[in-house]
Amino acid sequence: MQRGIIRSILLALTLSASWAPLLAHHSFAAEYDDTKPIKVTGVITKVEWQNPHIWFYVDVKGDDGKVTNYAFSGGAPGQLMRRGVMKSSLIIGSTITVDGFKAKDGSTNGFGAKVTFPDGRMVFTSNQEDQNKK
Amino acid sequence: MKRTMWYAALPGVLMIAAALAFAPAGGAQSGAAPAAKGSSAIPRMPDGKPDFTGIYQWPSYMPGDQRGKGSASIFDRKYFAPLKPGGEAFLEPRTGDPRHDEPRDFCMPAGLIAGMLSANAMQFFQTKNYLTIVHEFQRMSRIIPLDGRPFRKDIEPTYYGDSVGHWEGDTLVIVSTNFKRWVLDDYFYTDPKEYRMHSDALTTTERLQWKDKDTISYVMTIDDPKIFTKPWSQEFQINPKPEWDKVGLFEYVCEENNRCPGGKCAGN
Repeated sequence: MQRGIIRSILLALTLSASWAPLLAHHSFAAEYDDTKPIKVTGVITKVEWQNPHIWFYVDVKGDDGKVTNYAFSGGAPGQLMRRGVMKSSLIIGSTITVDGFKAKDGSTNGFGAKVTFPDGRMVFTSNQEDQNKK
Repeated sequence: MKRTMWYAALPGVLMIAAALAFAPAGGAQSGAAPAAKGSSAIPRMPDGKPDFTGIYQWPSYMPGDQRGKGSASIFDRKYFAPLKPGGEAFLEPRTGDPRHDEPRDFCMPAGLIAGMLSANAMQFFQTKNYLTIVHEFQRMSRIIPLDGRPFRKDIEPTYYGDSVGHWEGDTLVIVSTNFKRWVLDDYFYTDPKEYRMHSDALTTTERLQWKDKDTISYVMTIDDPKIFTKPWSQEFQINPKPEWDKVGLFEYVCEENNRCPGGKCAGN
């Protein structure tokens, strides 16, 4: 278990160095705003394991108790699966923390590069290999 | 006695020689990797031509070449030929119109060059008369005749052009022409203010040659007389990934769930 966590952290460190320009089929600037980083914690409500990028939806409770549903984009399913990241990595009902950036249109959509579970496990929904395009 | 032993060993010697001679025909992806080193170790077709059948990583950089910020490979400008007067117009600044600036964000095709350099798996299938390339990115499919036929005539220019292949010794040479003016490479990930386009006068020449059983040299030559004073080339390398064959290529239907084209997201 401890070895697994260490491995996850090492993987995270390895991949985190490469998620700057972020997206796959299109440039990051086309859809997201790198001046608007976002970090939220909430419950996964839906996972769309589809092309050109996966999307996962998270209910986030605000300080006022109001729940907002955020949508986060990740890599292409094929690229993720070839790295061993499967749809089962994102279980509906799980609590996760998402690190990413907000969409340019100011909506509650965004890019979610890193997902962290309460036990410290991390799943990268994108890395350098995903910075491809459509 | 010595003579007897020599004759007795002859069938074994012949079997080893035969094994060395025919082992490469098994193909790089069959799991029957040839033991011999050197040029004889590359996979070959029954007719002796090199066999490029297999599943591969996308063309990757040679040491010392400029890497782009995206994951797809891009051209290093040090290889460019001098531009013709007016040729710099192909380095178009972004206009602010996302359909012009980044057509792939709307699921438009990559085109041949950027498509081949995209950071996805690709699979080659070779027969005597065809090389078929299926690239996972946008599921680009190229069916390249190797039977000596000429280019098709009276076809409107296309994103992927018209390709024919021929052999120059152990090098497979694929020449493509009749392109639309379109994306040259993914440079716009490196500098979001610019992107590179080729003209409709483009001819590409791709040269594939096994360097050893784990490496294909992939040289792309860009001949675009509306932009450059002469053709220029950059070498990449293509590496077999036989372990990827366990699951093969994945589907890539861009239109399936393209939620934020042009930065305007659907829903939420």
